[in-house]
Amino acid sequence: MKVSLNWLRELVDAPLDADEVANRLTLAGLEVEAREKFAPLSGVVVARVLAKRPHPDAAKLSLVDVDDGRGKTQVVCGAQNVPAAGGLVLWARPGATLPGGITLGEKPVRGIVSPGMLCAEDELGLGTSHEGILILSPADGLEPGDDFAKKLGLPDEVWEINVTPNRPDCLGHVGVAREVAALLGARLRLPSVPALTSSAPPAKVELADAEGCPRYTALVVEGVTVKPSPLAVRLRLGALGVRAISNVVDATNIMMLLWSQPLHAFDLDKLGGGGVLVRRARAGEKLMTLDDQERTLGPDDVVIADADGTGVAIGGVMGGGGSEVSSATTRLFLESAHFLPSRVRRTAKRLGLHTEAAHRFERGTDPSNCAHVARHLAATIMGVAGGKLGSSLTDAYPRPIAPVLVTLRPARTDALLGFTTKIDRQVSLLKAIGIDAIDEGAGTLRALVPTSRPDLTREVDLIEEIARLHGYDHVPATLPPLDSPPGPMRDADDVRNDAARDALRGLGLDEVVTYGFVGPEALRVFGGDEKRWVRVTNPLREEQSIMRTTLVPGLCAALARNLARDQPDVRIFEVGGIFRMTPGHPNPAEERWHAAALLHGRADGWLKPGTAVDFYDLKGAVEQLLEALGHAGEWQASKQPWLHPGIQAEIHIGGVVVGYAGQLHPAVTRALSLGAAPLVFELDLQALPAASAVVAMELPRFPAVARDLSFYIDESVTARAIREVIDGARDPLCVGVRVLEEYRGDKRPAGKKGMLWSFTYRAPDRTLTDAEVQKLHDELVARLAAKMTIERR
Amino acid sequence: MASLADELQQLFQQFSGQLEAAANEQAVRKVYADFGGANGAIRLKQKELIKSAPNDQKRVIGQATNEILQNVEAAFNAALGRLASQAEARELARSVDVTLPGRAHRLGHLHPITLARREIEAIFAQLGFTVAVGPQVETDFHNFEALAMPKDHPARDMQDTFYVAGAEGAAGEGADVVLRTHTSPVQIRTMLARKPPVRVIMPGTVYRRDDDATHSPMFNQVEGLCVDEGITFADLKGVLLHFARRFFGEEIGVRLRPSFFPFTEPSAEIDFSHGTCKGRGCRTCKNSGWIEIGGAGMVDPEVFRHVGYDSEKYTGFAFGWGIDRMAMLKYGVDNINAFFEGDVRFARQFR
Repeated sequence: MKVSLNWLRELVDAPLDADEVANRLTLAGLEVEAREKFAPLSGVVVARVLAKRPHPDAAKLSLVDVDDGRGKTQVVCGAQNVPAAGGLVLWARPGATLPGGITLGEKPVRGIVSPGMLCAEDELGLGTSHEGILILSPADGLEPGDDFAKKLGLPDEVWEINVTPNRPDCLGHVGVAREVAALLGARLRLPSVPALTSSAPPAKVELADAEGCPRYTALVVEGVTVKPSPLAVRLRLGALGVRAISNVVDATNIMMLLWSQPLHAFDLDKLGGGGVLVRRARAGEKLMTLDDQERTLGPDDVVIADADGTGVAIGGVMGGGGSEVSSATTRLFLESAHFLPSRVRRTAKRLGLHTEAAHRFERGTDPSNCAHVARHLAATIMGVAGGKLGSSLTDAYPRPIAPVLVTLRPARTDALLGFTTKIDRQVSLLKAIGIDAIDEGAGTLRALVPTSRPDLTREVDLIEEIARLHGYDHVPATLPPLDSPPGPMRDADDVRNDAARDALRGLGLDEVVTYGFVGPEALRVFGGDEKRWVRVTNPLREEQSIMRTTLVPGLCAALARNLARDQPDVRIFEVGGIFRMTPGHPNPAEERWHAAALLHGRADGWLKPGTAVDFYDLKGAVEQLLEALGHAGEWQASKQPWLHPGIQAEIHIGGVVVGYAGQLHPAVTRALSLGAAPLVFELDLQALPAASAVVAMELPRFPAVARDLSFYIDESVTARAIREVIDGARDPLCVGVRVLEEYRGDKRPAGKKGMLWSFTYRAPDRTLTDAEVQKLHDELVARLAAKMTIERR
Repeated sequence: MASLADELQQLFQQFSGQLEAAANEQAVRKVYADFGGANGAIRLKQKELIKSAPNDQKRVIGQATNEILQNVEAAFNAALGRLASQAEARELARSVDVTLPGRAHRLGHLHPITLARREIEAIFAQLGFTVAVGPQVETDFHNFEALAMPKDHPARDMQDTFYVAGAEGAAGEGADVVLRTHTSPVQIRTMLARKPPVRVIMPGTVYRRDDDATHSPMFNQVEGLCVDEGITFADLKGVLLHFARRFFGEEIGVRLRPSFFPFTEPSAEIDFSHGTCKGRGCRTCKNSGWIEIGGAGMVDPEVFRHVGYDSEKYTGFAFGWGIDRMAMLKYGVDNINAFFEGDVRFARQFR
């Protein structure tokens, strides 16, 4: 909401210091978000045109003699609309300053020196028009020699105030002025509105939808002359960013900006039957609005129809094209009504018509003020457009909306706010914003809330007003007592998620956070059941339209961005949610915590070039992560179509697949434009069983002895298969088995791979002798040779 | 006898020469074994001499030759000692260029949002707050309705909402399902699940249809809720002041400014004095010296009604802000989108 400081000054009976008032308003909840000067100019005077003639050397320029009351001066002018002798224009004299910091001097224009210039609207910062110089009308009341800025109170200061949705009263200058007056302890100075009586019959109104339109007041003004508004009005509208149209329309806008009461002026001669009918729209009813759009309405919408039943406006939202005021209009039907906020809101939202009127009505205008504003509007119009009342006031208000009575317990104010505010002070703070609060004794106040404040209906609402006007700055800072012991800081999921982050971080991976939604193309690459996708129905863009079912696409996209920025060495992870539709789920969608990582490029290094990361770097990271979470996975070759068929595994824990690890499939890598195929894993953290508690074991007291075994074996035999044979064959005194090497170099028999395994022997109760160990080891090797075809190396 | 002594002496000379030439321990031991070992030349010669000597001479010859063997032993030990001290001297002579970079035992980096979230959680944990989380895909009831934002409420315009289609038979079926626009639905879930006293801090990812340098369609909020008998607006201010000072520094000030949220009454915007310009005013804080951080207020009785709390008995405060915004201020990040791009150079700055 734009607010003119000049206008506030007219409405508050106290000197206003701009900085102070802006700060006080901000601290009272009406945040002044921006302040700017409107038309900061000086040295511009009113001048009378004495004569004009063409410039001898330029067809489009003219030489104009003007008189600023101090004598005749010749000015060069490029405008085509220089008035005839006697016309009043604005002359920026040498030394004058204009908006944008321009200072005028005397300079030659095509060989003839021009002292200053005659000004157009935009040069003065009054508007955007550059169609010609500004020509004053006698009605503007300015004389040659008048200092333009001083006479019109320029520059004005315009504030952009962030009015929260609960304060429709502050969508007009009176409401803001009331706040200022309350904050400064000053008096509000409301404009006087004449009683305006007429012996003519009331304006013709039939109110058939009193739910949608609880109050409809109307007045007829006849004999008006529609023409441009006086300069002062146009300047005020310009300052507030409203385009001036005509004296009648401008008056409705000025009144709205003053009272926060949207108004409408119909051309009475275009209203069939000479009046209006306020009714619900018929299903499918069409209406052409002012913006030349045909709108389709329904029974939830309020239609203002003429007395013949033809729709002429959408109530509270926008007027119709057929009944608008034109330069030929002489008889006006003025509407000042109250519409039900929720109905206006639904209509405006459905039609996408967020007009100034709808903005105010959907937040709640003051129903008590309709007739008053109708009179003020009529009087204003008669002041600028002539004419006289053509009707007495019609006030269709079948069920008047009464001020709300709220009971306030001053002690409750203190209990909620945490400090004491004396009862007298509570009463006076409320009084300042127009709420009469009467001390009933017995610890209660009876507060009568005016209808201009639809947001105040409960005790707690009044407590907020007291706190607000008292000033939040004066609220003390205390800490709440901790009377009962707090529970555990985090739940198990949360603890595990952060443990996973710490582990992956410790493994040298960098954490990333990627969007929760991805595009269908990116997701489709990774398979999955599309019927279970959680789809955003109103995405900003297609790439953000499906809630992710896997973290891998986000990591791949991050890799792509890094590659584009010449950062090929990428080791990143994310711990985050994935989403899918699960019928019967207690939440709208099933959300699971996943952890995923992506490795690409080379390991860090400087003495020798880092080696490329491979599957075992990835597997090592997964194993360490699982260990940190209290688990060990079993790895089996798997068949995910998006992973390399020979370099991928599924990870089993407790008989359940908890995730996948592998190298991205070359085709997928190509589709995602990733260069070299990255290594990725993804774990469903919630599929991990609860880790068992740690119980420290007793450390062995006797030394262990290691024996190695090196052999060739068929390439197709997996380490896991060998391990199973070993586990079936080993003596309990063989307490450790591990692979030291897999050899697939040139010097091996065809179809074979070399392996080096290490075995650890230890007895719990004594030191094993060399001979004992050798015997155990020889027996083990013999058993292995009996069960597998191995060839000692 | 002369030839005997000569022969032994000759062998000893040979031994000494070879020992001298032996460059490492292995060679020294081999020379020793070749001469002084059980089958060494000197021992064999000794045996041969004793064997061939007349019986009365055997003792004398034995003593004389043992003397040589003792010399062999001493020379061997001396050679080992010499080698050891040479090795040690070599080791001590070695030096590394300590100015070369270390080889990577690389620590990864946590995301600034994780770091900020943990710090926020820890500060509130000291005040007895526990962490609560909730779903990102929410019902209209939890996200709006129960927070006193019925359909057609103008406040819904303050949060441009993403809608999704929910699953059959799942919660929210038949009504609107949304990507939560704030973490406040976790308040509702928490209060529906337990009775006062409640003291929770609720971090989480939220979504709004907004996209520019300061807005991302996905961002992270944290929300706090404290409900008990006798909780006051002054308590809210105290808790926020405590937090601001712990998170940003002791010199930070807190300003509450009246505002409007449907789910709190009284409501406030939270401003922190701007740490960078120390409240003197700069471009970031629009010359006001204050930075808008988030929203807060006393829980509206309407919210308590929805969760079945007695608003006469209990009062409470709630507050919330963007974790991302906190991280931006703390680490001087200008563009919120940097958080979600995954650039490793960005990620590696944080610790």
